[in-house]
Amino acid sequence: MTKLYLKISLSIFFLTVVLSSCVNLKHVNDFSTSSLKSVKNFEAIDYSFKQNCLDKCQDQNIKKLVLIPQECNCEADEKADSITFLIYNAVRGYLDGLTNLSNNNLTTYKMDPLTKALTKSDLAAIKVEKAQVEAYSNISNVLLNAFANKYRKHKIKEYVKAANEPFQVLIRFLDFNLSSNLADKLNVQKLRIREDYLKLIKDSTLSSLEKRKTIEEYYHRLDLIEAKQQTLNTYSKALKKTAGGHQNLADNIDKLNIYEIKEQLTQDASDIQDMISEFNKIPKQ
Amino acid sequence: MAQLTSQQVNELANYFLAMAQAIGDYRVKNFDALSKEENQKTEELFDSILKYADDLFTLSAILVMDDVQTSLSSIGDITNKMKSAFKTLQDIQKVINIAASVVILGESIMKKNPQAIADAIGGLAGTLKA
Repeated sequence: MTKLYLKISLSIFFLTVVLSSCVNLKHVNDFSTSSLKSVKNFEAIDYSFKQNCLDKCQDQNIKKLVLIPQECNCEADEKADSITFLIYNAVRGYLDGLTNLSNNNLTTYKMDPLTKALTKSDLAAIKVEKAQVEAYSNISNVLLNAFANKYRKHKIKEYVKAANEPFQVLIRFLDFNLSSNLADKLNVQKLRIREDYLKLIKDSTLSSLEKRKTIEEYYHRLDLIEAKQQTLNTYSKALKKTAGGHQNLADNIDKLNIYEIKEQLTQDASDIQDMISEFNKIPKQ
Repeated sequence: MAQLTSQQVNELANYFLAMAQAIGDYRVKNFDALSKEENQKTEELFDSILKYADDLFTLSAILVMDDVQTSLSSIGDITNKMKSAFKTLQDIQKVINIAASVVILGESIMKKNPQAIADAIGGLAGTLKA
């Protein structure tokens, strides 16, 4: 009777431990993997405050017909780039950590090496039957994975909640520097080149053909600038989606088993994936 | 005097940009009607205002640092904690692998097989390095 009672108690204990750790973090991992991939498109933008400054200096040299480039002071723009990069790095580092920690493979431990070593061993001190070793190994494996998953789930909850506020601030300012400040500097550049080309087409010493060529060149340069702005705007949309997705995750981190929440996270991951595709479709210069 | 925030500086820069845009549009429409002197004056005005706008956008990007300092520090702490939790979970597999290597080494020593001992030590060293 006592034996049966003990067996039932143990079974209930194992079942409780295993079930309580069964929350699948796949949806969290899908969301963080897509977000990380999307945020990493920063490295594909291929334009910066410093490049904008260098472009401005080059325009001025061309305008003044200077053959040997004069010194171009881009110190402030370099500083703006380094701050933007610092924010990007922090956001990327966090998403990288979340992706690694939410990966289900992390806590799928392999007991095989130990099982094999013990069953093959004929050491007097640890002489154990193969069947016994495998049985103990299977139980240890289930319990170890269960406890590790519980620990992982608990940690992810804690980190996502604590990180949400600073994460939103960092995403907002990364977006602000790129889609406002840098994109606005491109608006400045647009106005500057329009003024330069205006003077050229009003120059009475140029022929009609030369003026046509000048206008053609102006439109081409305008297209290049607008393509850069499109890249920045698409990246901005992806950042906003990532921030929204993280907010959903933080708001619902205690309810990850609910079907609607899983659906929402899958939808967020899919939306971010669409943004990545949109970004990749922009023709690169 | 209170310092301007990055957003306020960006707003100022946009006012300057709008002014430069207005002067630029005026020059495009009235270029032929302006005298040489008027042309030169409006061009200088346009250049200066546009330069202010350009510099203010850069300044706004730099001032962002004041807004993100606390958040950078918080997210840095959380990222470090995440790395540490990740390492702890990875170490569990390492411990299992080390235990297996130790069993193999023990067996080789008991068998007094020098080649097997050497191989087992190599295996253990590899597991420890991993």
